Amino acid sequence: MSTEDQTKPQDNDPPLDINLLKEIARKSLIDALNSVNGAKTLVLDPTIAGPLGLVTEVSLLKHHGVDKMFWLEPGPLTSSTTNIVYLCRPMIKYVKIIADHIKRHAKESSKHNYTLFLVPRLSSLVSKLLEEEGVLGDVTISAYNLQFIPIAEDVVSLECESAFKEIWVDGDETIVYDSAQALISLQRLFGLFPRILAKGDHAARLVKLLTTYLPQARTSSAPDTLSEISDEFDSLIVIDRRVDMITPLLTQLTYEGLVDELIGIKNCHVELPASLVTPPSGPAPSTSNAPPPPPPPPTSVANLRKESKKKYHLTDQLFMDLRDLNFSSVGKRLNQIARRLDEDYKTSLQAKTIPQLRDFVGKLGGLQSEHQALRLHTGLSELLIPMTRTEQFNKSLEIQQNLLASYNVPEQVAAIEDLISTGTDMQIIVRLLCLASLTAGGIKIKALENIKREILQAYGYNLLPLLLSLASPSLAVLLPNPLPPSTPQAVQALKYPFPSLSKSLRLLIDDSPEALEEVENDISFVYSGYAPISIRLVQCVAQKGGVLSNPAEKEKSQLSNGSDRGKFQAHPIVGWKGFEDILATIPGETLDIVQRGAEGATSSIRNLTRPREKSTTTVVFFLGGCTYTEIAALRWVGRQNRVGRRFLIATTGIITGTSLVDSIAGTRKTTQGDAGI
Amino acid sequence: LALDEASRMSDPASRIATVKSAQKFFSEDKDRGFEAKMMDESVRLLTLQQQLETEAGENTTFFGLSVNETIRACILNGMIKKADKIKADFKVPDKRFWHIKLYALTEIRDFEGLDGF
Repeated sequence: MSTEDQTKPQDNDPPLDINLLKEIARKSLIDALNSVNGAKTLVLDPTIAGPLGLVTEVSLLKHHGVDKMFWLEPGPLTSSTTNIVYLCRPMIKYVKIIADHIKRHAKESSKHNYTLFLVPRLSSLVSKLLEEEGVLGDVTISAYNLQFIPIAEDVVSLECESAFKEIWVDGDETIVYDSAQALISLQRLFGLFPRILAKGDHAARLVKLLTTYLPQARTSSAPDTLSEISDEFDSLIVIDRRVDMITPLLTQLTYEGLVDELIGIKNCHVELPASLVTPPSGPAPSTSNAPPPPPPPPTSVANLRKESKKKYHLTDQLFMDLRDLNFSSVGKRLNQIARRLDEDYKTSLQAKTIPQLRDFVGKLGGLQSEHQALRLHTGLSELLIPMTRTEQFNKSLEIQQNLLASYNVPEQVAAIEDLISTGTDMQIIVRLLCLASLTAGGIKIKALENIKREILQAYGYNLLPLLLSLASPSLAVLLPNPLPPSTPQAVQALKYPFPSLSKSLRLLIDDSPEALEEVENDISFVYSGYAPISIRLVQCVAQKGGVLSNPAEKEKSQLSNGSDRGKFQAHPIVGWKGFEDILATIPGETLDIVQRGAEGATSSIRNLTRPREKSTTTVVFFLGGCTYTEIAALRWVGRQNRVGRRFLIATTGIITGTSLVDSIAGTRKTTQGDAGI
Repeated sequence: LALDEASRMSDPASRIATVKSAQKFFSEDKDRGFEAKMMDESVRLLTLQQQLETEAGENTTFFGLSVNETIRACILNGMIKKADKIKADFKVPDKRFWHIKLYALTEIRDFEGLDGF
């Protein structure tokens, strides 16, 4: 497809160039826009604007004839141009709005040409709806295929926030299909995944889709890489969110995760008080200062300013450094950097000779922008600290840790009840409750009813659907124990064997003092002592040693032996081997498929067994979203492999426990905003 | 689900009706005893809120609030007795009730009421 995928990885090879994906997304957007001649008014679906901002800028849109931009909202639409372009996801309510616009215009007898781009693909439902509204003839419909968007150099996302709810609550599997399509385009760029591993029912379905659609995709476009085994990828691991419900329910403790939990990161942007972002008058505004919010139309920018908030794009170097740290060590790191900066400034005073001075002036710009970034992140952590000091935060953290250790569960449930009575946010309560149900395999029926009653009374009876869908067979994260005899088999099968898992996958690490160092050397650092199941599963495939024992200890012993093989040699992917028993205890299907290229089996076998001097990339796809903390943990695993393996994290979207609960609770949440007194 | 519909309705009477129909649905299924009971409470709350609204006059709204918020609104409007009655009717645990009352009284700076603890 492109020349860039020819670049062979070297020893110190750059990570997989996922910016390619961005380029493609941008190019297809431009193509889409150019297909409509002349000046046009762009009408955006608000849920798309954010992701779109990651691939393009307003200026680019302007360049391609976009005259004005509006949100897709009910109500009249005034447009000065004859061309109107809609860009939205195929949802019934949007189509209704569009039809309404067209009808209004018809009444006012103003003439417009309508073009509708559906993201990510066409849907026959939409045209049917338009037909019903009697406006199908007026609209040109085509698709704008927005797929994976890179949101960090090793993370790509479909930026589909409601994926989890759609799959497990609504039973809508569109996103599974879309994911499969996106993964196929990924393979089209970089070659086939030699091996695909999956855990979870929906993950398995996704993989089946992948393999069945592949031949079709292959014939549709002749000269591509779909018939060849990839050099860059060694495998694809698909994990569906249902497999590890526990992790997202916990409070994230890495810097980026915590920012997401407490302030909220949306499409890589975080909204901060303007005072934090804008530099105090004086020092030159540096490059790290907020690039203005991407394409949202002028009105919304004004709104943002009014709230004295500014969107800040988290991309600076310092943030890269900080984002994966446990929050407890962020302060230390900031301090270190501040000191170093200070030193750097001091050297200027010692600079005597002219070349030295020139050298310093050259560095000054960099220093200043670093200074800027430091100020921002210090401010940001200062913002976070009071939030982490509240009683509620600590209480819920304590309950989480106790539940993970399966320590005195009834008491924890009582503690949750206490939290309700002090008016804690509904989301936190629901998270804790689900966590209790998952780890303990259900809550005693009487306690459960009691607590449900409390929730409904405290936060409103309109939350009953939320509780029902949490208990529904497809999700089953809130269950009574013992289960009533009438429970369908499926629910029983979904019961989560947490205690045994926690032993076999070494999920918990004691936080006794002597183990403290150990914690820092295991992925469990991200949750201060708990290792996310999802990541342990990935380790099962990609870093077997790390699951069973602690890599750091081995490192030490090797160091004392004078060996320098401190880090793991990435072993070839051999599937779930060695962990079949454990996997079998986790509900959901397990799959392991070897994909063959067109030239047959030989190549794939050669590929699997060839020596690993070259570094390869393992793609980990989270169906239903993943948390920043999981990303942090995966990055850590990637760093452990000195040679050989890098992770590309792909997901349907970034989630937090709160966003999960919110999405399941649906719009009801907005009316419920200030339930806590 | 009729409940979804109910949350969107603004007209009090029809809202109560839809919640009632939801309650009927639940009560048909014997595994849903709990939900049916909850819906029953919900209906009671809504009717009570209607009643409160007429008593309290124009500028206060009760309708659609949760139990907690209703108690709080009662206290804010000086209807301590009503609040106590809700507590009894809906079996609100002491702990939660006092918490709400404490905060509500502080909000209206009713220090005499606070003294009464």
